[in-house]
Amino acid sequence: MSNITMTVNDQQIVAAENELLIKVLNQNGIDISYFCYHDALGADGNCRMCMVEIEGQKRPQIACDTFVKEGMSVRTKGENIDRVRRNILELELINHPVDCPICDQAGECKLQDFYLDYGLYDSHIEMADKVHHRKHIDLGSNVMLDQERCVLCARCTRFTSDITQTHELGIIGRGDHARVSTMPGKQLDNPYAMNVVDLCPVGALTSKDFRFAQRVWFLTSTPSVCHGCAKGCNIFIDHNREKYKDEKIHRFRPRENLAVNGYFICDAGRLSYKELQENRQLQALYDGSAVDFAEATHYFQMMFQEQPKQIVILADANLYTEELEAIIMLADRLNATLVCPMQTYTDEAFGDAWLKSSQRAANTKAIEELGITTVLSDANAIDLLISFNHPDFTAVTAKKSVSFQTHSGVEADLIFPLAVFSESSGTVINEEGVVQRCKKAIYRNDPIPSVLEWIEMLKADGEER
Amino acid sequence: MKECKIVSRKFEIENSHTLSVAREHGGYNAVEAAFALEDEAIVEIIKASGLRGKGGGGAPTGNKWALIPRDGDRPSYLAVNADESEPGTFKDRQIIAKDPHLLIEGIIITSYAIGAHEAYIYIRGEYYQFQKILQAAIDEAYVEGIIGQKVMGHDYRLDITVHRGAGAYICGEKSALLESMEGKRGHPRLKPHQQEPEWYFGNPTLVNNVETIASVPFIVKNGADAYRQYGTKSSPGTLLFALSGQVNRPGVYEAEFGASMLEYIEHYGGGIKNGKKLKAVIPGGASTPVLTAAEAACTNLDYETLRAMGSSLGTGGMIVMDEETCMVAALKNLLEFYHEESCGQCTPCREGTGWVDGIVASLLEGRGRQEDIDRLLDVSETMNGKTICVFAPAVSGVIDAFVQKFRGEFESYLRDVR
Repeated sequence: MSNITMTVNDQQIVAAENELLIKVLNQNGIDISYFCYHDALGADGNCRMCMVEIEGQKRPQIACDTFVKEGMSVRTKGENIDRVRRNILELELINHPVDCPICDQAGECKLQDFYLDYGLYDSHIEMADKVHHRKHIDLGSNVMLDQERCVLCARCTRFTSDITQTHELGIIGRGDHARVSTMPGKQLDNPYAMNVVDLCPVGALTSKDFRFAQRVWFLTSTPSVCHGCAKGCNIFIDHNREKYKDEKIHRFRPRENLAVNGYFICDAGRLSYKELQENRQLQALYDGSAVDFAEATHYFQMMFQEQPKQIVILADANLYTEELEAIIMLADRLNATLVCPMQTYTDEAFGDAWLKSSQRAANTKAIEELGITTVLSDANAIDLLISFNHPDFTAVTAKKSVSFQTHSGVEADLIFPLAVFSESSGTVINEEGVVQRCKKAIYRNDPIPSVLEWIEMLKADGEER
Repeated sequence: MKECKIVSRKFEIENSHTLSVAREHGGYNAVEAAFALEDEAIVEIIKASGLRGKGGGGAPTGNKWALIPRDGDRPSYLAVNADESEPGTFKDRQIIAKDPHLLIEGIIITSYAIGAHEAYIYIRGEYYQFQKILQAAIDEAYVEGIIGQKVMGHDYRLDITVHRGAGAYICGEKSALLESMEGKRGHPRLKPHQQEPEWYFGNPTLVNNVETIASVPFIVKNGADAYRQYGTKSSPGTLLFALSGQVNRPGVYEAEFGASMLEYIEHYGGGIKNGKKLKAVIPGGASTPVLTAAEAACTNLDYETLRAMGSSLGTGGMIVMDEETCMVAALKNLLEFYHEESCGQCTPCREGTGWVDGIVASLLEGRGRQEDIDRLLDVSETMNGKTICVFAPAVSGVIDAFVQKFRGEFESYLRDVR
């Protein structure tokens, strides 16, 4: 497709011919207000907020239903169009409850943003004259609906009709009595349901899991990759630290990546953040008793005094590629067999044709690419077994065992606590071979070392002796 | 006034809704004339006749027909719009009740002209008894071989299905009508960027009003010139004008375009009730801007004159108001309707119709504030030209006309209270 030249607010812009104007504006960083348009859902044209002036057109036009043409001249600002936008925003607000102080969307709400950008009028309608609807409806799948806050942009209903094709949500009633609802007796029930919370531009749909937990302006967003399966969906880790406390993750949100997950993530992945902060292994243990990290590395060296002949190292397929590489070198140094048994990660019931892979580990592709054996051929007579968080660790018997583990509940002679993926940086390779970087998001008051840090410490300790 | 009965020719005849009576009086004669022609020739005749859509828009019918592609790789459909819900408009139901076979005749010819083998009649849910008459006529036509596998013995199949609406005004908007027929919510679709037909399940579809289709047999049988004998140059033919409100003989009376409005009200309506004076006329269904008595006095009933008056001929359903009518209450009556019937799809209409209804209610209840009248005009402006369909712009036109032409009455509600 060829390019065209057009002007927006007297600024020259080159765009692909017949592209949607709203996309061109977004791509060029030109402010444009909208509720209903979404890249994943396309134009619906119902909110009327994206009105622009187009030279030669008598009336303002919506940018989400306008295709750019050579020589087109568009104005998104100016006395007339500002007034139009402001008046339509006022209409969005006349029946809105303006309950921002108790609304979880506050801080990331488009109504708030637009009002503060160019609204700023006093209300022209009495509270008593507002249309009232139901304020807390449990739609199912962790999604709560407040019908009064809704701007009826239909993003959520279009998500269930066009994307998941599960058709749970619809709009019932006409005029200012229109509201989002499920079919009578039905619930929102699909593995991607919670995406409607992100899609909702206002506080109508909130997550039962996140609501009332934190104000969004206290949260820091760190880009990362979900570790729930081999798909490698891009996410934001939203986290913060309350005074004196450890940093805490409050939610995962999808991060747009058209090459991997598009705009969405599955609910299982979204809620997998909880596992990162529950039931964690915090201390090093030797023979069941707590020891400090220096003592633990010392005990690790002691494991080699009896000259173990057969040493097996198990590595988890969720570890970062850099960590796996370090473990390969460690295995070389210890003359150990490195294995990553894979059958435990396969879960056919979990997989689907979209964003859920039946390979339930983030870095299975790296195991394959690094050539790490996936079958433990000789499981007898293992003298020393070292596990880097492998879930099948307890299924293997050995005379002595060392476990680096993120979560408690596994018994071993020597246990090292291990950082989870959000507590260190590294890369993972998804099942399609896309290499993606995760940034360390969580800093703990008492840091838990990552695989790389432990290996460094063990090396230093070994050299000292 | 010149007597002209094209569509209403059989209305006065007893049992005109039955097939035998219809046939006695020349029913289905035009079908033979149509089958003697090529389909495209019929489209040309309709174009030449200058027939304009009688559902309110007044768009040239022939041009609309010509948009239906003839390449044959997809089926095309005819959808007859019988979702007559405009307050003040009750002409289509007369056709359905008095001469359903004329409608069927028109459907046969139109379907043949556009190459459709399925025709649908979308009738408003409230027209239950009219729908029964219509269905009985269709059943009769099937039995007599007028429609079905072989239309009147010709090698042409046509099936007619009646689809009842669930009572939404907006389903009279052609794209909302089709959405509703597809089983979805009756929401108007975004307007196309170039001229194209409507689409029913992705197939090209012609949507025409009942009266438009009922005018087709006359034109095809008698030729375009016969139709052009009536009416004006750019508004040829006749319309089933309707009268309601404070007139002595409310009803539906066919007249040619271009007749004087007052003469029409006098001649057919028998003048204003109880000898009162005329105050205002809503010329063509509730959604057309109101005219004062003085404006009505210099109005002819055609598209051009009414457009020049800043109003619109619409469906030709006149609502006549006498000197005792309270214009604020009259506007409230209309706004209640729009508040109830806005489909709620786009913001200006969904929220605007409720707001203006509330403002006028507060005026009537004596809670009106000084700034309310200007606010009314302000909201009206936001509703105009910023929505998907013409519902909100029509409401805006209604408000503007009432407030601008009768502002004193609106203000009196403020003064009387304070």
